[in-house]
Amino acid sequence: MSIKVHEELSYKERVTDGVENDFMRQAVSSAQERLKKGRLQAAEELGDWEDWRSLGEEIRSHTIEHLDFYLHQLSEQVEKNGGHVFFAQTAEEANDYIKNVVKKKDGKKVVKSKSMVSEEISLNEALTDIGAEVVESDLGEWILQLDDDPPSHIVAPALHKDREGIRQTFADKKGYDQTNKPEELALFAREQLRKDFLAADIGITGCNFAVAESGAITLVTNEGNARLVSAIPETQIAIMGMERIVPTWEELDILVSLLTRAAVGQKLTSYITSFTGTRLENEIDGPEEFHLVILDNGRSKIIGSEFQSALHCIRCAACINVCPVYRHIGGHAYGSIYPGPIGAVITPLLDGYEEHEELPYASTLCAACTEACPVKIPLHEQLIRHREIIADRQKRTPKLERMMMAGFAQWASTPAAYQLSAKMARTALKPWSKDETITNGPGPLKDWTVNRDLPAPGKQTFRSWYKQREKEKKHDN
Amino acid sequence: MTISNRDTFLQHVAANLGRDVIVEGVKRPDWKHKPHLNVFKNHNVEQLIDELEKQCENIHTDFRRTTKENLHQTLQEVLDAYDADSIVYAYDERNEVYGLDSYFAELNNDGKDAYEWSTSNKEKNRQKVERADVGLTFSDITLAESGTVTLLNDEYNARTISLLPESYIAIIPKETIVPRMTQATTMIHQMQQENNHVPSCVSFVTGPSNSADIEMNLIVGVHGPVRAAYIVVD
Amino acid sequence: MKVSLFITCMCDIFSSNVGKDTVELLESQNCDVDFPEKQTCCGQPAFNSGYTKDAKKAMKQMIKAFEHSEYVVGPSGSCVGMLKEYPKIFSDDAEWYDKAVELANKSYEITQFLVDVLHVTDVGSTFTGRVTYHPSCHMTRILGVKEAPVKLLESVPGVELIKLPLGEDCCGFGGTFSVKNSVISGEMVKEKVRHVEETKADYLVGGDMACLMNIGGRMTREGLDVKVKHITEILNTR
Repeated sequence: MSIKVHEELSYKERVTDGVENDFMRQAVSSAQERLKKGRLQAAEELGDWEDWRSLGEEIRSHTIEHLDFYLHQLSEQVEKNGGHVFFAQTAEEANDYIKNVVKKKDGKKVVKSKSMVSEEISLNEALTDIGAEVVESDLGEWILQLDDDPPSHIVAPALHKDREGIRQTFADKKGYDQTNKPEELALFAREQLRKDFLAADIGITGCNFAVAESGAITLVTNEGNARLVSAIPETQIAIMGMERIVPTWEELDILVSLLTRAAVGQKLTSYITSFTGTRLENEIDGPEEFHLVILDNGRSKIIGSEFQSALHCIRCAACINVCPVYRHIGGHAYGSIYPGPIGAVITPLLDGYEEHEELPYASTLCAACTEACPVKIPLHEQLIRHREIIADRQKRTPKLERMMMAGFAQWASTPAAYQLSAKMARTALKPWSKDETITNGPGPLKDWTVNRDLPAPGKQTFRSWYKQREKEKKHDN
Repeated sequence: MTISNRDTFLQHVAANLGRDVIVEGVKRPDWKHKPHLNVFKNHNVEQLIDELEKQCENIHTDFRRTTKENLHQTLQEVLDAYDADSIVYAYDERNEVYGLDSYFAELNNDGKDAYEWSTSNKEKNRQKVERADVGLTFSDITLAESGTVTLLNDEYNARTISLLPESYIAIIPKETIVPRMTQATTMIHQMQQENNHVPSCVSFVTGPSNSADIEMNLIVGVHGPVRAAYIVVD
Repeated sequence: MKVSLFITCMCDIFSSNVGKDTVELLESQNCDVDFPEKQTCCGQPAFNSGYTKDAKKAMKQMIKAFEHSEYVVGPSGSCVGMLKEYPKIFSDDAEWYDKAVELANKSYEITQFLVDVLHVTDVGSTFTGRVTYHPSCHMTRILGVKEAPVKLLESVPGVELIKLPLGEDCCGFGGTFSVKNSVISGEMVKEKVRHVEETKADYLVGGDMACLMNIGGRMTREGLDVKVKHITEILNTR
C-alpha cells in the first residue's frame, strides 16, 4: 500500500464509489461539521487566531529555509543521546534500513503507533515480508489493518467505517462476540492490544515534530498508544518526513497548539510526548536502542519550487475537514493516502502527475482550505499552479481544451470579437433553448445540464442596452 | 552510535535551497507575532486555578483542591470513588514533604498495595504497574489553559506509571501552575541551553486517554487510563 | 464621483439586467457611471484552468480597457477578486506589474464599494420578501467581503433576511469544475439547494451570477419555487 490507494480503479470510478456510498458520506459530513465547529470554537476562544497563524507561518518558513541546519543539529543531538540516525533518500532505503534493524534484533512482533509516513512507504508490507508480525495500535488504524483497508483521512483514518462494519470485522478476525457499541468495541481493542504492547520487541512510531535543539521526537495522540510504543519495547524506531521539525521547544509549543486546535479543536490532546531516544541508566521504561529514520522520498524536490510552502504542512487535516469536495467523495476517491486539498497538492509532487493528474482539478478553488490552514499554506493557489504546469508548461491537457483556451485568449483580447460573439450567443444556443432555458446542452454544456438547467443568453446584451440608453440620453439633451 | 547518509542528504536539501550546506550559525529570528505570551498574562494563581478547574470539565478529569494537611483525606476520597486498592507511585522528594510517605505506609498496613517504582526490578515494576488500579505522580509543571500536567520522566517518575494503571492521579502543588504550554517549553528550552540536556521523556498529560475513531464518538479510556484526577494542593 | 462599470462577461451575456441595476444603483448614489467598451473577460476561466499565458492576454486587455478609470466597480465578487490577483500574476513582468497594481487598487465589488467607499448601507430599496443570502466563495475568501452585502440587505426595511445554513460552503460551480467534475459538482449543488430549501425563503440572493446560475439552475430542475436574484436587483428596487 504505497502512497496510492485503490489504484485498481480509475479516478472516475473512485469518485462514483464515493458518491454512492451513503454511509460514508453521512459519516464524513457529520465528522466535518463537528471538527470544523471545534476548530472555529478554539480559534474564537483565543481571540487572536490570525496572529497564531502568522506565527505558525513564520516558524515554518524559517525552519524549511534552514532545513539542512536543523536536520544536522537534530541528528547530532540524537546521536549524543545514544540513538542512531539514518537519512533515507527513498522509501526503499528507509524500508531496507528498518528491515535490517528488525532482523538484527531478531524482532518477531512490531507494534506501531499511527504514522502516515510509514503508510507512504508501505512499511508494514516490507516488514511482513521478512516474517515480522506488525500490529497497528491506533484504534482507527487497527480497525483498518484487520480489514485490510487504507486510511481515508490523515487524522481520523477510519472515518469511513461504521460501528456495525467494525463489529463484523472484529468478529471475523478476532472472535469478538459482543455488540456494536463503540465503548464495547474500544474496550475489546484495549484488551487485545494491551497483550501486543507487552509482547512486542520492536516499537515503531511516526513523528509529529522533532525538536532539533534536543533531538526529541514528539508524538501527539489522544489514545496513549504512542506513549506505550515508546515506553515498552526494547528497540524503538521513529520515522519522520524530513520537514517535520522545529528549532526549539519554544516553537514546539506553538506548532502543537496550532495542530491540536486546527485538527480537533482541543487545546492539547491527551498526550503530547517528547522523548530523546534511549532510556537513561536506571530507567526501566523506554527503549535500550533507538533509531531515527529521516525520509526525503521526493520532499527535497519541493524545496526551492513554487510549492515550497506545502512543506509547511503540519498534517492537521483542517483543510480536509472544510473541503466540500472531500465531503461528497470521501478520502479513497483521491487515490492517495493524503486526501483532500493538501493531498491534491502534495500527492502529485511526491508521486508525479502521471497517475494523479486529476487531483489538482478535484477542487472548486473555493479557498475554504486556504482559510482554514493554521500555517497559511495558499492551498487553492497551489492547485492552480499544478493546473498551470499540467496545461501550460507540460501541455498534458487534451488538444481540444487547449484550442478552446487559445480561442478564449483571442476572444477576450479582441474587443470586437468579444462583442460580436456576445451578441451571437443567444442565436448560437437557440436550437437547445426552450422557454429561455437549456435543459440538455451541447458539448461541454451537457455535463452542466446533467444536473441543472442553464438559462438561455438574454435577449439583449448589457452593452447593447447601454448603447441605446446613451443614444436616448443624447437625444433627450 | 551512527549517523548514516547525512552528507548527501543534506546536500540535496541545500542545493534546492540554492546554496551550500549550513551546519552552524543559524539563529532563530525574533518572531514578529507573539500571541502565546498574552494568554492569561495578568492572571494570579487563584485565577489560574479557576481556569484549570474549568478546563477539567472539558477533559473529563476530576478536579479537587485541598491543603497539605488534608491531602490524605482527599486522596482517600478519590481512591474510594475509584474503588482502588492498589497504587503504583514514583519516588519523589515531595512524597515526604506532602506526607505521602506516611500515607502509603498506612495503606500497606491496611492490606492495600502501595508500590514505589523500583529503579532495578523491571519484572516487578511491570507486574505491578500493569495491574494497579491507580498510578500516582506529582505534576512538575501544570498548564492551566489546557488542563495539562507536565511530567519530566526519569528513572523514578517512570513513563508507564501515568499510563498503564486503570486510573491516574496527579498531585499538583499550587506553585507548579503556569498559564500554558509556553511557560513549560521555555523552562525545558532553558534546561537544554544551560545543561545541553533534557529529560529522556517529557509527557504532557491532559486527562484520561480517549479516542473518537469509531463514528466520531468520544470514548474515554482507550490505551491509557480510563479516569484521571487532579488534586491541587495549597 | 466617476465610476467605470466592470460588467463581467457573465452578466453582459446572460444577465444584462444585473448590469442595468448596477448602473442605476450607482447613479442613485450620485456616481457618474461610464462603460469602457473595450472590456471583455477578466481571464478567470483560463487562469483557473492553468492556462496562464492565455489568461494574461485577457488580463492585459482589461488593464488597457480601464486604464483611465478612477474607480472600477463590478457586480461580482469573483471577477473583481480576479482583478485583485493581477499584481501577483504579473509580479515578474516589469512592463505590466505597475499597471496591474493600479487596476487592482481601484477595483471594487459593488457592495464593497457602496459600504466601504461611499459609506452607505441604506440605498432606499423598497423590496419586500423573505430572503436568504449565499455568500459566495471568492467574494468572501478571495476578496474578503463578508459584511457589506449583509449590511445592505439588513438595511432594506422590507427584507426579512434568513441565514443560510452552511452558507460559506461552495455551491459546486467552480468554473470548469462544473463540467470536468460534473458528478461532484452535482452533489454539491444539490446539498446547497437542500440548505436553501430549509430556510423557506422566497428569494435566494447572491453577489455572483455564476453561483446563482448554478444554484438557480438546479432549483428550476427540481421545480422549486425559489426566485434567484442578484443583490443589485434587490437593492435597486424602488
